[in-house]
Parts: sequence; C-alpha cells; structure tokens
Amino acid sequence: MSIVEIRGVDKTYQQGKVFVQALKNIDLTVEKGSFAAIAGPSGSGKTTLLNIIGGLDVPDRGDVRVDGNAYADMTRSGMAELRLCRIGFVFQAYNLLPVLSAVENVEYVMQLQGVDKKQRRERAVAILDEVGLSGRYHNRPAELSGGQQQRVAVARAIVSDPAIVLADEPTANLDSKTGEGLLQIMEKMNREKAVTFIFSTHDRMVMSYARRLIHIRDGEIENGKPME
Amino acid sequence: MDIKIAWRNIWRNPRRTIIIMTAVIIGIWSMIFLTAFMRGMVVDMIENGIATLTGDVKIYASGFRSDPALENRIRNPGPLAEKVQANLPADAHMAARIRVSAIAQNARHSAGVTLVGIDPAEEAGVSFIGDGVATGQMIRPGNPVDIVVGKALLEKFETKIGNKLILMSEDAAHEMASRAFRIRGIFSAELEATEKRFVFVSKSAARGMLQIGADVSEISVMLENHDRADAVAEKIAAAIDTEAYEVRTWKELKPMLKAYINIFDGYIILWYLVVFAAMVFGIINTTLMAVFERMREFGLLKALGMRPWRILRAVLIETAFILLIGAAAGNTLAFSMVYAIGQRGIDLSMFAAGFEYAGMSSVIRPEIFAGDVVLANAVVICLGLVVSAYPAARAARITPVEAMARN
Amino acid sequence: MKRIFAALAVLMCFAAAGHGRINDPDPRELVKGAVNYLRGKTSQAVVEMTIHRPDWQRQMTIKAWTEGRENSIFWIAAPPKDRGNGTLKRGDEMWIFNPKVNRVIKLPPSMMSQSWQGSDFSNNDLAKSDNIVDQYTHEIIDRQTHQGKTVYVIRSLPKPGAPVVWGMQELKIREDHILIRQAFFDEDQELVKALTMEKIEMLGGRLYPVKWKMQKADQKEEYTVLDYQSLEFGLDISDRIFTIASLKNPRL
Repeated sequence: MSIVEIRGVDKTYQQGKVFVQALKNIDLTVEKGSFAAIAGPSGSGKTTLLNIIGGLDVPDRGDVRVDGNAYADMTRSGMAELRLCRIGFVFQAYNLLPVLSAVENVEYVMQLQGVDKKQRRERAVAILDEVGLSGRYHNRPAELSGGQQQRVAVARAIVSDPAIVLADEPTANLDSKTGEGLLQIMEKMNREKAVTFIFSTHDRMVMSYARRLIHIRDGEIENGKPME
Repeated sequence: MDIKIAWRNIWRNPRRTIIIMTAVIIGIWSMIFLTAFMRGMVVDMIENGIATLTGDVKIYASGFRSDPALENRIRNPGPLAEKVQANLPADAHMAARIRVSAIAQNARHSAGVTLVGIDPAEEAGVSFIGDGVATGQMIRPGNPVDIVVGKALLEKFETKIGNKLILMSEDAAHEMASRAFRIRGIFSAELEATEKRFVFVSKSAARGMLQIGADVSEISVMLENHDRADAVAEKIAAAIDTEAYEVRTWKELKPMLKAYINIFDGYIILWYLVVFAAMVFGIINTTLMAVFERMREFGLLKALGMRPWRILRAVLIETAFILLIGAAAGNTLAFSMVYAIGQRGIDLSMFAAGFEYAGMSSVIRPEIFAGDVVLANAVVICLGLVVSAYPAARAARITPVEAMARN
Repeated sequence: MKRIFAALAVLMCFAAAGHGRINDPDPRELVKGAVNYLRGKTSQAVVEMTIHRPDWQRQMTIKAWTEGRENSIFWIAAPPKDRGNGTLKRGDEMWIFNPKVNRVIKLPPSMMSQSWQGSDFSNNDLAKSDNIVDQYTHEIIDRQTHQGKTVYVIRSLPKPGAPVVWGMQELKIREDHILIRQAFFDEDQELVKALTMEKIEMLGGRLYPVKWKMQKADQKEEYTVLDYQSLEFGLDISDRIFTIASLKNPRL
C-alpha cells in the first residue's frame, strides 16, 4: 500500500532573474512502512521534493497524494491539519523552540493537536526515553548537543503516530558518529512503530541505512526502484 | 503554554523589552498623572467658582441677572425661601444674601467692591465665607459696623483689623448711602480677585444702609454633588413662580466653567492620542524586530501545522504582556505620585499670575477620575494591540519555505 | 483740710485753662463760620488751577458760582481743549458735563472719591466739604498768631459711626473766620494731605485766601494750587443756574 504517490510533478523557482527548474516530471511512489532516502548532491532538488511531499510547497504541475489525501483538492487549513496530525518533520537545524525545554517542545505539538495535558506529559516523557534522552527532559535546546536536539526533533515528529516522517538532511550538522546514532533511532522507530520515514541526504553512511534509495539529480529521479 | 511561551519570549531580549515597557510606563503615567493634574485644576476652578458666592443653584428675582440693581431684589423673601427649602435634598445647604456693588474707601484708597450682606451661620457649607476668617473674627449677626474684607483688599488699602472702612452705595431710593464699618476679620481666598472684590457685612447692616427692609438679592443653594444641580433646579422651578423669579444652575451662571470642562475633556482625548502616537512607533518597531528575528521559528511552527491565527495570537499575547506590565507599573507610578502629592498640592505660585487670570488657584491638587484611568489604559492596551497586529500578521503569513530560505 | 480743697480747685482751674481756655469761642461755630466765610451767601469767581507733578504741570481756568454750602457749578474756561467741561454740585450729589459728547453724567459713587480733573482735589472734597461741620466733634487744642491775628488750632475727630474716611482733621482758623490750613489724617493720625492757604488778600470786598494749595503728605512735587483771579460775593444769582439744563450751557 503506497503512502506517497507523486505523478508528473514539475517545480520551477525564480532566483533573481534566472528560472531554475528544481523538479522535472517527477513520478514517485513510496510504500507504507518504508525507510527511504532521497539521495543526491546539493541543489539536486531533494529539499524541494520533500517540501512538496510535506505540503510545504506547491508543485507547478502534477498530482501529489499523501496518506490518501490529494493535495490539489485540499484547503490550506486542511493541509495544516494534515501536517499537524499525519506528517512529522525533522529539519536540518532550528527544529526546536529555544524558549521551551525538550519535553515542552514535544508537548507543544501535542497541545496543538488537542491532546489533553496529562497525556501530553506522559507521552512526551515516554518518547524522550525511547530516543535516549531520559534525564534531559527539562533542558532547553541551547543546553543540548546537536545530536540531542535532533533526537528531540525526531521524538516530536513521531510522538503522535504520524503516517509519515519527513526528515530533510537530519544529520547534516552532526558528526558521523552522532549522525549514525540518530539514524539508528530513526530506524528503530520505523521498525517498532511502523512509521514511514523519508529523509534526504548526500552522506553515503546515511544512505547505507536506507532500505530504499531514490537518487535525484538536476531535478530528475535516476532510479526509483526499491532496494528491498 | 501559550502564555508561558509568550512570557519566555519577551525576556529573550530583556533590554528591548524593558525599553518598550518603560515607554509604556511613561506613556500611561503621563496620561494619568497629567490628566489628574488637569482635572485637579478644573475641579479647583469649579469648586472655586461655585464657592465664590455662586452655589450650585441660585434663585433671583427676574431681571437681577441682567441688571443686578437693587430694584431687582427679592422682596419679602420668606415664603420663597420656604418653598426652596422644601424642595432641597436633605444634605443641601441654603443661604439668602444681599449683594450690591459699592465703593469702599478709607483715607488713602478707594475701590469698587461687591458689598455682601450675609448671615455667617447660613453661609457654612454654601460659600467660602462660611468657612470663616483667616485672621480676626467673623462678623456678628445683626451687628451694624462689623465688616470682613479680603486679605488682598486689606493690603491694598494699607489698613488693618479694627480700622474703619467707609462703604458707599445707592440705596433703594436711589440716594447715596454711606456707612462706616470696622474691619473685624480678614478672609483669604484662593484667588486674589475674590479677596479684592467681596466685603461682607451682616444682613441687617446691609439692609439698614440700603433701606430694603427684610429683602434679599439672591438665594444660593449648595449641594453635595454638583452634578445634581440641574435636577434640583428643575424641582425648585416647578415649585415657585418662575415669572417673578429665575432659577439658575452653576453651569448657566458660570458658562466659562462649563466651557472649560468641555475643552479639558477634548484636551484629554487629544493628549492621550498624542502620547499614544509617540508610543506607537516604539511598539510597532519593537514588535517588528522581535518578529523578524524569529521568522524561522514561525516558519517551523507553520510547517508543524500551526494555524496562522494561532501565530497571530502568540505574538499579540507577547505584546499584551508588555502592555499590561507597563500599564500596571505606569498606573502604580501615577497613583502613588498623586497620592504622595495628596492634599498638599503642587504650588505653582511662580506662574500664579497666569493661573489667576484663568480663574484657577496656584496650588493644584491632582484628582484621579476613574473614567480617565479606564480610558488611558484602554487606549494604550487596545490601540497597542491593534498596532502590533501588523507585525503579528507578518509573522502569521510567513510560509515555511520562505522562512527556511532566510538565514 | 478745707484749704487743701481750695488749692486743688485753683489748680484744676489752671489745668482746664491750659487745655482750652474758658473764654475761647465755640469750636464748632468757628468751623461753621470758616466754611460759610469761604463760600459767602453767593459767590462768583474765576480761579486758575495749577496741577503740579514731578515731570509735568498743567494749568486751567475755572469759572465758578456758589450758593451757600449746598450748591455750586463751575466750568473750565481754558485751556481750549477742556473748555466747557462743567461740574454741578447739589447737596451731596454731583453731575459732570462734557461738551464734546454733549452729555451730562451723574457721578456714581465709584467716582466720588476720584480726583477732580486730575487734580489733588477729589470729587468728594468738592461735594462734601461741608460735612466737616456736622460729622466731626471739634476741640481747640492750641492758639497761634498769624499777621497779628489769633489763629485757633482745632482738632476735629469724626463722630462715632460717621461715614467719613478721615481719622482726624486739623484746622487752623483765624479769628476773622479765615481758614489758614486744613490737614487730613488717617486713622493712625498720620498726615495724608493738607490744604494750605498761602496768600490772604482783599478780594471781592473782603479779606480772602486767594491762593490754595492742596498737597499730599511726603510728595513735595505733587500738589494743586488754586489761584483766585477774581471773586465777587452777594451777587443775585438765579436758582436756575444750579440745574442740569444750565450745566449744559456753559456761562463763559
């Protein structure tokens, strides 16, 4: 069963006076439960593709369906609702609100989802334990290492059992050992909670964890076949 | 949690927050304090005006107001006074007086004055003279020679208590009447003009000099609350012969005072807007700066699925915090300053000539009106929130892609 | 014992004599006589008035008619600027006439104490100059000699309750009824102003003070001098001259 279906997506950006075609006629299907990496050099269109899957960006042409929702038919508020409840995001950096502690950052999303207060705290603490942050609940992001911050971001992304987690170069700012630790956690979550993960990277080590590699170059997918 | 986040956010840049809070404090303070100051002046003017032989309501014989001559007096005032008394609230005071323009004269000086025949006991609570004299003794009821004059008149005439003062006026038969009085006491008033204008003698002395039997010139009524003057005046007018008598309230008798009050009300609103306009730029600027610095955060929140209105609300809560804290401190400051000044007032006698001209006294006791305080706070907080809606909307409109493109 | 009483009685007689001698005239009659002497039954005069101030001096010529103590009327004859300005006094009341606006104004009380034509005489000085007789009690306090004649120094104190501004007046009246000096004091017995007769000559058939000088105390350079140019007494003056209608028609 596919969770992401993309058909004929084009996306062109205007950078100054130059038009840059970021995506060219992309077709992509990702199965539920995948642990997939979008790989390619910087500027290849990885981030644009993830943004379009996440509903953060709108394609010029083509259809996008995620978790059974056709984006073309959805309102802006429906999109926000979908992102809030069904899609988890982990960005390269600046994932957390600096004024909130680790546990508060996780709780905040749940609050937006309308989870009641008691449950929020229990679930936030549990998920932080699972990503290995027991005892760091009350540290602010500035008091956490880069790896720890990204783990809080992963915890926040999966705390409400989303259909899919999109991670845009989650390890880019981490050293390889820490990056590897983060990927192990992501993989564990993927296995244990059956959450689909799609992440972008240009790091070979990261690619090696992916069960499916989607190579993208100059806005085009080179190899859409699953590795499994 | 929104409150907690807002509270933490405003202290991310304490210096900026404190600066803008200070602006709000100064703004609110200046609104409330200076308004209290102006109100103090106006209240003072009203109290002075009313206590200076005007009263809240005054009853004359018809024609006296346009021509305050002796023939326009109230003849046989007994029945009229009874009717007026019967229509007064229990806490009101009433006094009947004789009032005529006269010449005061001694060996060296002479000046036009208003000769007022009073019963000192009756004037208590009605006019300033009812509060007694500053020096010497009050005139004795029925005494034919006692006179009380103002301090300024006494100084101008280079005389002293115990000395003679000759008063001349036309009597009821249009003959020149003059009588020698002895200065028994000195009153002091807020305004020098009042001290120079009025001299007080007993009713019987005035009646004897003017040959007017038991007649009076006016009946003056003082109420506990000046705002009730209209209602009381209407009630009195309904009970008496309005062909023969006129009933007037202080607003009609002192149209300048009424006009001043209206002008001051206008000034207060204008003043609030001016102060607020000065604050507005600070508020918009600070909020814009705070928002632009955190665009990435707003982008992140949008990406995570936060609705624009919640972002708008989050920014407004932050502004509200600053405004509320600033307002609270500004109110506290203004109230404590007014309290500290209290009844002592602020002495502006070095500029007194100008105040005197406007009918104000030189010592000003600020008065806080609840309505002004509410208005000042409402203006700052409501308009403050309205103007910060613009930066808040900028934050709410940011898209995650735009936000992440920023660095 | 008896002799002691007798001695005391003699002493008391002397003491009384020192204060006001037994054969002195009645002081009230002296004052009344002086006022009447100045006025005559009727009189007609031309007076030159000089108002002197530290930095200027003004002169005007006045033509005046009087009848007893009650009535008088006078007009300014010169300078031309003021010519025709008239003043009528009847009893305690006064009217003034200004030919430029052709109007008669009854002086309100406020103006009675103001100066007449800018001089050191107030309207009251003119209107009430006779109330010295009735509103005061008089006492001879001294005698002096002036041009060989006895001068009585009279201290006049206002009667209690009298509506007069002065605390005291001191008059010097010669035995031939001529007023030599009239000094006005305030209640603290301080001199306020004084009228001095500077020259006594034959005029209009009798000895008359022909030069009057009114001067404020402490103001050496501020005074007003009345200089009688001509004076006639006992003329047959029509009553109609002391009327408002007559005031409007200056007899110059």
